[in-house]
Amino acid sequence: MGIYDFTVKTNRGVEKNLGDYKGKVLLIVNTASKCGFTPQFKELQELYDKYKDKGLEILGFPCNQFAGQEPGTNEEVQSFCRVNYGVKFQIFEKGDVRGETAQPLFKYLTAQKKFEGFDESHPIANPLMDALKKNFPEYLEGDGIKWNFTKFLVDREGNVVARFEPTTTPASIAGDIESLL
Amino acid sequence: MVKIYGFESCGWCAKCKAYLQSKGVEYEFHDIELNPEDAEACEKLTGDTAVPVITADDKNYVLGFDKAKIDELLGL
Repeated sequence: MGIYDFTVKTNRGVEKNLGDYKGKVLLIVNTASKCGFTPQFKELQELYDKYKDKGLEILGFPCNQFAGQEPGTNEEVQSFCRVNYGVKFQIFEKGDVRGETAQPLFKYLTAQKKFEGFDESHPIANPLMDALKKNFPEYLEGDGIKWNFTKFLVDREGNVVARFEPTTTPASIAGDIESLL
Repeated sequence: MVKIYGFESCGWCAKCKAYLQSKGVEYEFHDIELNPEDAEACEKLTGDTAVPVITADDKNYVLGFDKAKIDELLGL
């Protein structure tokens, strides 16, 4: 079973076989419409703008499993929300990404690349750990997706070569992407 | 007609709707999650993908639920 064997549905309900992306470098991300500041969407779009002509595709999978308990958002200051629309890369159907109900693709990705901890220098790292310990202690166990904006990098041959946690910004992985293009 | 761009599960959009209602302001709600053309119009207006966006003339707008700015925009 490889990455190209999975079939998923776009947000318009159209079936898409990941084999269609053979030869491309893929960045697969679990996304979320969020209130407050969502710089990761913006940075993902910037990566897409910069590298799509060289063969990068970004695949966004919206998921509500982490809703309602977002750490570090200051909604009182940022009085707006964002939806997935607006980004130009492909967004797929909303679905689960962790646990028993996780989509097969995410079971595969998390089996390929294990959880190796958060980047503790990121300002969200500590509030995220605190929020997980308090609300979802079971999420901290094992290799499942910990939070929104976990990113998997896939090379042109379909190998899952890296996993970046929510605490790694899209902008900071530009070099990793470039090395595969 | 005043327009609000937003989406259903957006709490700030709901606050915005309630506020305009409380002021007796009629508005059209444009759902950017359901209607790609509304999403496009909204992004064209603000250059951003955040909502709520309140506008009366499709030119001047307020992004976010900011009562003072909304009052100023709509002359409330």
